[in-house]
Amino acid sequence: MPRPVDVDELQERLLGAGYVADAGLATALACAVSLERAVLLEGDAGVGKTDAARALANVFGARLLRLQCYEGLDLAAAAYDWNYGKQLLAIRAAEAAHERTPDLYADEFLIRRPLLAALGAERERGIVLLIDEIDRADDEFEAFLLEFLADFAISIPERGTVAAEHRPIVVLTSNRTRDLHDALKRRCFYHWIGHPSVEREIEIIRLHLPDVAPELARDVARAAAALRERELRKAPGIAESLDWAQTLGILGAERLDASNFEPSLGSVLKYPEDIELARASAAAIISAAHPSTSSG
Amino acid sequence: MTADVAAIAGGFDGALRARGVSAGTRRAQTFADVLRALPPASAEETYWRARAAMLPSIDDVDGFNAAFLEFFGALGDADALRRLVRSVEAPPRRPPRELPKRETLPPPPSDEPANERLAERAPTQWVVASNEHRLTDKAFEEFDEAERAAMLRLIARVRVAGELRRSRRRRAHAHGDRFDFRGTLRGAARTAGELVRRRATRRREKLRPVVFLLDVSGSMGPFARALVQYAWVTAVARPRVRAFAFATQLTDLTPLLKRASDERLMSALAESVRDYGGGTRIGAALRAFNDRFGQRGAARGGTVVILSDGWERDDPALVGTEMLRLRRLARRIVWVNPHKRHAAYEPLARGMAAALPYLDAFLSGHSLRTLEAVADAIEGRSA
Repeated sequence: MPRPVDVDELQERLLGAGYVADAGLATALACAVSLERAVLLEGDAGVGKTDAARALANVFGARLLRLQCYEGLDLAAAAYDWNYGKQLLAIRAAEAAHERTPDLYADEFLIRRPLLAALGAERERGIVLLIDEIDRADDEFEAFLLEFLADFAISIPERGTVAAEHRPIVVLTSNRTRDLHDALKRRCFYHWIGHPSVEREIEIIRLHLPDVAPELARDVARAAAALRERELRKAPGIAESLDWAQTLGILGAERLDASNFEPSLGSVLKYPEDIELARASAAAIISAAHPSTSSG
Repeated sequence: MTADVAAIAGGFDGALRARGVSAGTRRAQTFADVLRALPPASAEETYWRARAAMLPSIDDVDGFNAAFLEFFGALGDADALRRLVRSVEAPPRRPPRELPKRETLPPPPSDEPANERLAERAPTQWVVASNEHRLTDKAFEEFDEAERAAMLRLIARVRVAGELRRSRRRRAHAHGDRFDFRGTLRGAARTAGELVRRRATRRREKLRPVVFLLDVSGSMGPFARALVQYAWVTAVARPRVRAFAFATQLTDLTPLLKRASDERLMSALAESVRDYGGGTRIGAALRAFNDRFGQRGAARGGTVVILSDGWERDDPALVGTEMLRLRRLARRIVWVNPHKRHAAYEPLARGMAAALPYLDAFLSGHSLRTLEAVADAIEGRSA
């Protein structure tokens, strides 16, 4: 049973939770919540995909369960496992007491991993299931997810099928290191999180780092935008510009200028070639950060 | 409006399809659900709702935007809408292609006309079929049209290359190297809790990726066609194969492998060569590949096969830098240069000279037989 969520209201509540979402992202999230279907967020590293799920959990007062994907991720790590040590002890204890062997597949021996735990959402307290970097998992896991997302149920051979009474909100993220199967993508709402506009980035920096001077936040956002226009190995994401602003704040800077540009570059660019390139065009980037001084 | 919601979603799906964006009925169904649950109040709201539900990937966004303007721009006009809804037709389905058979070269020259299937073939192909031996050593650029058709068939007989690496996934194995607690205990349940049989797992093996980077400019055309055909055959037979074409820009052919017909694959190749204007930008293409695909994992731990004559229009130093980067990502780099078949060949092209220090194998790959050597090199066997 869908619970419609107003897009504008969600956008505002996300902002209240410390996350600046544009209309597109807010719509995708509102659709996912309203129709109880998963949402797939794609985007370059550091644009705030994971944070979107955190903020969503915050907004709905839900528990956040995070499943970090990696190659070789299997059911024992993703869905459930049995507590073997405890099972063995139970057998031995029953033997010693000359009792019947207990049910080895009872609840007490079951270890709930994120996917199974996500099926235990309650009416009062929902669950946001974050399946992070799904592109790092392999095809086999993706195939399993298809089943999971279709029915919100997991079948445990020893126990039967466990189905969700209340469906969790599922957020998948991908860095696009490989293409996902369309079968999986078809089952999700989709949103591409791009790099933010300068205004939005200023807003984000001010929101996350209230101690940083407003001028510095503006400088950093403009300089980050200028950096992104250049041909870098790895364009800075929001995470990097936040690091940059924080670093400059710690260095005691009030504006971004020639004296602190080079020493702080390591916090925003992660390849020596990129740092070299930024150094070579330092003047242009700094003047892009201060449009008022360069034009006047 | 509720009653029309399904029609709108279906019609928009058609508009998308017409623009080459395959969203599919499942997404259209989702879109209809969204329109019902969250009715949009403005064009912008409609746009974002449509995008969240119907856009398959950010790569499709241009086609999506065009289709949106086309379809929802016409919504006000009832006649136009009806016309659009009527225009929704399924595209003609292509017959499934035969799976390539894996045989070894050279194929037996068959002289028995008794076979029914052979008898149905066109006479020209008959001649070609009896000349398969001759084609094996012929350079791809000397093929005429009929021979080329035969070549496509023959290429399916070149050995499909695949190299294994150990995966992080595990499978049960009698002499595995890791004790399997779960399996052992499950077995113990059958023997009244006594741990009788030790079970173990071992790591699985997985195919390493293969990436083809094909220079399609100028004289490389016929060889690129042959290699992309080989990539196609490989992609059908095994996973983790990607192919790219480049002249002055890089084009990803991977989505076309497996699925597309010959003609579509070839027209995509032709498309990528369209902007060609004297020379190739190998360095820029390698850089685009490294930035967008290689660094993200397409080349990691795999083999990269590059087809090019090494004629660089721009600075060959960039070829060197990017080859070094590729060297760090890939396990093996194989360079195919058809000119190498000539005895007097020397790598004088500046791009070629810059790339040479980073290669594991340098081959001619100009004919079906030498393509076998490429297959060997992909697996790291010396030719």
